[in-house]
Amino acid sequence: MTAALRVAIVDDEEPARAILREYLQQEAGVEIIAECSNGFEAVQAVANLKPDVLLLDVQMPKLDGFEVLELIERDVAVVFVTAYDQYALKAFDVNAVDYLLKPFIPERLTQALERVRARLTRGHLPRSEPLSARLRPPRGPLTRVLIRDGANVHIVPLAKIDYAEAQDDYVSIHAERRAYLKEQTMAQLEATLDPAHFVRIHRSYLLNIDRLAKVEVTDKDSRVAILRDDTRLPISRSGFARLSVLLGE
Amino acid sequence: MHPIMASRDRLGLYLAVWIPAAMLVAIEFATVSGLPWLAAAAMAGPLALAYAFVCLAAWYPCRATPLQTSGISRLIGTHGAAAVLSSGLWIVLASVWARLLAALGFSTAFDHFGDQVPVLFVTGVLLFALSVFAYYLLISYEAARQSETRSLELDVLAREAQLMALRAQVNPHFLFNSLHSIASLIGSNQAGARRMCVLLADFLRDSVRFGGRDQITLGQELSLVRQYLGIEQIRFGARLAVHEELAPDIQDALVPPLLLQPLVENAVKHGIAGLIEGGTVTVRAQGTGADLMLTVENPYDVDRAAAAGTRLGLLNVKKRLDTQFGPLASVRVADGGGRYTAEIRLPLTSAGGAR
Repeated sequence: MTAALRVAIVDDEEPARAILREYLQQEAGVEIIAECSNGFEAVQAVANLKPDVLLLDVQMPKLDGFEVLELIERDVAVVFVTAYDQYALKAFDVNAVDYLLKPFIPERLTQALERVRARLTRGHLPRSEPLSARLRPPRGPLTRVLIRDGANVHIVPLAKIDYAEAQDDYVSIHAERRAYLKEQTMAQLEATLDPAHFVRIHRSYLLNIDRLAKVEVTDKDSRVAILRDDTRLPISRSGFARLSVLLGE
Repeated sequence: MHPIMASRDRLGLYLAVWIPAAMLVAIEFATVSGLPWLAAAAMAGPLALAYAFVCLAAWYPCRATPLQTSGISRLIGTHGAAAVLSSGLWIVLASVWARLLAALGFSTAFDHFGDQVPVLFVTGVLLFALSVFAYYLLISYEAARQSETRSLELDVLAREAQLMALRAQVNPHFLFNSLHSIASLIGSNQAGARRMCVLLADFLRDSVRFGGRDQITLGQELSLVRQYLGIEQIRFGARLAVHEELAPDIQDALVPPLLLQPLVENAVKHGIAGLIEGGTVTVRAQGTGADLMLTVENPYDVDRAAAAGTRLGLLNVKKRLDTQFGPLASVRVADGGGRYTAEIRLPLTSAGGAR
């Protein structure tokens, strides 16, 4: 017998957690290491306890199940547990191992856990590239950016973002005099944002157009964007072209 | 807008209808005044065309004196006067035209135009009467078509509302989640599981029973709401609190069924369910003058405000009140500072009769 499967239960409804607890106690080789009643707790539990399996509800306060996945390391097997069947395709998209529709019988959970074991013994779970770029578009316009900082989660509304700066495989998102580091490339972030408000003014800079105070010409062919808080960002030649289109000049 | 002048096609069709009239007038000239056929045609064609336009005016007295509401003497007076006037005008036009043709040396027979006047006058009056008849036919046809469209529209709306109400009763996810809670309780709390089965059965039975009626008492609607909230409280536990503020004697007021329940369901689904700590759903009912005022208030997560966009239940309630009470009822929502309030106003009547 291999080591016990370490399971985290994530559901905001106590009866839903209780039935998973009860079913899991009947299973051999399973250990419940965390019970989370919201998405924040789930992100923390994954960061601190590194479970093998996440039994994950979709509709929860603050962070829904898909947003939790966006924020965690992807070497955890995910089994969705929900009353809604309309997320099944999206669940497949994010590489979920199984999708349980409430209510379900214990055998269905057993089957899901067998699939998890099969996936785990076949080797590491395929770590997909950061999900947000693929996940976001079908979910309607993005209204906020989620950033994980250790076991904490920051929710930054788009309107509060000043600009984003590329840093290798990360972007540094500047909002309200703070900088948040998000594990995402500039191109991925740009693809999820509304192009009417965010413009790539430079290979390394994405600007919230509402923050622009003026454009200064420093010397021939070289321009600088000056933000309302006097931050100065370089503008590339093609960046200036995009900016001009957006400003209608 | 004049119905015939409204489009080129209609005007064309109308003028085509006048071709037999032109032929009739030509025959009259040929027989009464003994004009040669060519001269009779030269006389009748332009005259008929002119009179076609004169008779367009018959529409206005027709519109001003509707058949249903105007007395017979007024009808005869109005249209008789209009007919005599129009025919008289026509005679004047005809004599001018006859003189013009005579001056051009077209035919000497125009000297006898005087013989033609009585016949022409009677023809003019008859043609005008025919126009009046046609306009009344057109008006009643349009009215019938309009009322048919309106009753069809009302029908569709009512059926849509009924369907929505039915769908709201058995929101499948509510049912799935409730069944899941029951399955869970069976393991840990069998008495609780039984209680929830009964609550769910009561709620479903009552919503089907009440949903089929035109009106129920507010007390019945409130008991439905309590059953619903009782089920949701098992799911959400301490996160869902309920507060009622009901004016005394208000329970006998009559309301369309399933008016409050969808609003309370929204309050739970879009409000409480999105809050980690949960909150209180407040239900208020009071009479204000001739109105019954119902409000449902709930807190919601401000960060998730965008999700509040699709409140189908509210739209359905609005439509149903609109079809039933028109401007006497209203649905208003207030949304700010993390609190959402839906307020319904409708005429206050009670089971004992109108107050």
